[in-house]
Amino acid sequence: MEYKNVLTVCPYCGCGCNFYLQVLDGELVGILPCKSHLVSQGKLCIKGWNASDFVVSKDRLTKPLRKKNGKFVEISWEEALNLVTEKLTQYSPDAVAVLSSAKCTNEENYLMMKFARAVLKTNSVDHCARLCHAATVVGLGKTFGSGAMTNSIGELEDADCIFVIGSNTTEQHPLIARYIMRAREKGSKLIVADPRLIPLTQFADYHLRQRPGTDVALLNGFMNVILKEGWEDKKFINECTEDFEELKEVAKKYTPEEVEKITGIPQELIIKASRTYAQAKSASLIYSMGITQHTTGVDNVVSCSNLALLTGNVGRPSTGVNPLRGQSNVQGACDMGALPNLYSGYQSVADENARAKFEKAWNTELPTKPGLTVVEMMHEAAKGNLKAIYIMGENPMLSEPDINQVKKALENLEFLVVQDIFLTETAQLADLVLPGTSYAERDGTVTATDRRVQRIRKAIEPIGESKPDWQIICELARKMGSERFEYSSPAEIMDEIASVTPIYGGIGYERIEDIGLQWPCPSKEHPGTPYLHQGKFSRGKGKFFGIEFKEAAELPDADYPLILTTGRTIFHYHTGTMTRRTEALNREVPTGYMEINFKDAEKLNIFEGEIVAVKSRRGKIEVKVQITKKVPEGVIFIPFHFAESPANALTNSAFDPVAKIPEYKVCAVKVEKK
Amino acid sequence: MIEKLQKLAKDYLISGKVEVIFGLREKDNHLAPYIFTQVEELDSLVISSGQAGMQTVKYPLFYTCRPSKKNIIRLIEEKYPAIKMGVIVKGCEERAFIELAKRNQINMENIEILGVACSREEAIECRCPRPYPNHPLLGEKVEGVLEDKNVGELLNKGLSERLAFWQFQLSKCMKCYGCRNACPLCFCQDCAMEQELWSKIGEIPPEIPIFHFIRFYHLADRCIECGECEKACPMDIPLLTISKQVRKDVKELFNYESGLDLKQESPLLTTLDERPMKEVKNDGI
Repeated sequence: MEYKNVLTVCPYCGCGCNFYLQVLDGELVGILPCKSHLVSQGKLCIKGWNASDFVVSKDRLTKPLRKKNGKFVEISWEEALNLVTEKLTQYSPDAVAVLSSAKCTNEENYLMMKFARAVLKTNSVDHCARLCHAATVVGLGKTFGSGAMTNSIGELEDADCIFVIGSNTTEQHPLIARYIMRAREKGSKLIVADPRLIPLTQFADYHLRQRPGTDVALLNGFMNVILKEGWEDKKFINECTEDFEELKEVAKKYTPEEVEKITGIPQELIIKASRTYAQAKSASLIYSMGITQHTTGVDNVVSCSNLALLTGNVGRPSTGVNPLRGQSNVQGACDMGALPNLYSGYQSVADENARAKFEKAWNTELPTKPGLTVVEMMHEAAKGNLKAIYIMGENPMLSEPDINQVKKALENLEFLVVQDIFLTETAQLADLVLPGTSYAERDGTVTATDRRVQRIRKAIEPIGESKPDWQIICELARKMGSERFEYSSPAEIMDEIASVTPIYGGIGYERIEDIGLQWPCPSKEHPGTPYLHQGKFSRGKGKFFGIEFKEAAELPDADYPLILTTGRTIFHYHTGTMTRRTEALNREVPTGYMEINFKDAEKLNIFEGEIVAVKSRRGKIEVKVQITKKVPEGVIFIPFHFAESPANALTNSAFDPVAKIPEYKVCAVKVEKK
Repeated sequence: MIEKLQKLAKDYLISGKVEVIFGLREKDNHLAPYIFTQVEELDSLVISSGQAGMQTVKYPLFYTCRPSKKNIIRLIEEKYPAIKMGVIVKGCEERAFIELAKRNQINMENIEILGVACSREEAIECRCPRPYPNHPLLGEKVEGVLEDKNVGELLNKGLSERLAFWQFQLSKCMKCYGCRNACPLCFCQDCAMEQELWSKIGEIPPEIPIFHFIRFYHLADRCIECGECEKACPMDIPLLTISKQVRKDVKELFNYESGLDLKQESPLLTTLDERPMKEVKNDGI
């Protein structure tokens, strides 16, 4: 008899909660929260408590599948890998691309980007961080020098003021909401800026209900008040920042009266909230998709950064600018360089020294031409310039904006290979499907939102003939003639990562068996970094930018009078591939819905539970009505988890000019009775 | 004390009194339930772990596995009906054990209990009224916390103030079901908390107060005051404070305390002619 509890990291959001997978004689029997874990402390959200269900779902892929005459047939691994090798080597590097995965480990993401660059000779490697925090990587990169959460989750508890903007923390990062609530009970002030009545708003001292897409104006309004009243941190500005005058000039124009006109938030509220934030000893700003998923995503992020710099709320405990990452390893996938312009550790592909270093380490020549982002891949595929895509653990057919176009693009490819644990909407379009393993069947590391690199551990044997992604990539690379993909275990891959990635330089499995380490951790002696920019910014000085407000790409008009904003619910996760195969979660929310304000519902003469048509310039869906006060008049909300009512058939693929992140949070729609 | 316990457990294993020992194992500075089959492994046997500045970490051994909703001991018994198992229990765990056996959820026949008493400090930390098993093999029986401060404070408040307090506390709920999942006595196949009759599904916070109170009512004669519900709550809702009050009511009304005596039937399972009803063995869906 063997009964054990295997410590691992929850596969859902980026909180990095730990739990034990309970294993009796090789069979998963349940989940036990880990009480000695720093963040989760024996607590989990409903998704975490049920994270073992989908692992043993009868829908798991167990064999490679090849599409023949429109139908999938099972084939051997040998045949499958030969086919990938044959196909991917027949095109020029510019005609192939790779999508890596925020659900896979650091080791797998590193290998995938190495595979793209060293074997396929293309920089076209990207992943869904493009769709969530590309604006953060760019924005905080240029203001602070590091595009990651500045502080640690636990520190939130001791903040004097927490400003949550564009993050439905309770539903998206439940265990971080725990620390917000703890701070509040200790007397911290809470400011929430969100168009919706999210669960946190009932505990907020100030709820600023901005019109969707007006965050830059709101944040400029804060800074206008702070400068007018002289609440800025002059010493910090003098010593640690640059280009303050630029900000000052722009902020002048955004008086509370002006900002009220743009955002719809009463000016008194803006003034009071600004004072609360500015006068707190330590104020922590939290943001998420509500800031980044805009055509002005980078502007929004930079504005958050401006506000923190202005008040000296960076570089100390319980302060900072804290983007919350939405997937268990989306931080790590970025850290590992699964991005078209960066190698691991944010080393630029354009930097010749960096390229030379990787060429030496991998003993091969690397491409210099910049790669495509995921959104650009779809455009190039539609045009016929991109011929083959290798997708690992992503489901763009539900997650990308304007999915009707995505479908056309993917169907236009000559070869699509998808590696996943389920036959997702994307996998259904593939020529070849490779069965990967779930988190429960492999070893590796993942990096939580607060930069903590933690171990995931194999609890059970792979289901069917599925294989861990790192093994599949290695086998493929070897078949394609590479000699630099020989690893006996993920630990060995991590050693290579550490050798070429300064911020991970001190990370090795022997150091992270218990609680993990927070990067930057440059050497084996380094204890890790709980909060960034202490004394000095990663880029030297914190940089201000004067940012003008710009409207969203598509505003409501006579034809499409409502604003659609999209997001997630606490009970489901992303494209639902895992949560919709979990009984406890499906029972709570079995299908998609549209939140609409009762006044709009009255005008449209629609009723609770009625199925209506929602149309945008790009598509049409049918969805169930939920009448509520949660959304303001003129705004509807649809979660994007549900394939039968896919919000992303409506969304606009217009993107931020620099970060290329699409505008999921604002587009114009109309609602019609069926 | 831990050396003594390890020695005792080893003796049990070596002498063949039991074939396996069920207890907590420490690995990589974390502890978790484990079944020890080898004598050497027992060097990593622990009862709890405390790191400076942190709460003492303990795990109850009798948790309900999900989605099967069967107790882990039950799952083991089903696979290995004849196995002789030594189980290391604290006071709260023995109470859970007795209550589960009383309710046909586990079979005590092949189980040998190794009882361990907790210290007064541990009792205070857990707000535990009875920090020892009936017959501890290790440790001394010390007095538990008989008057709970939190319950006292609340009872001193007026009714409307109390209502406001609970309304606030329960409005934090994010519906993780952790209170139920962590409860050793929550083993129902059809859980009242999941039924739309009581609380609309798919919403947070769930309906106040019935979503939580239906559970307290349901556990009135089962709750053994281990406090695992409260410890599992991400929002720090003081659930143990309610449990304590409900348990007190049951004691005053029926002179019944759960978890103390295997032979004592629950008053809520007694029919009008005072013949006890038998609780149905949870047999899965």
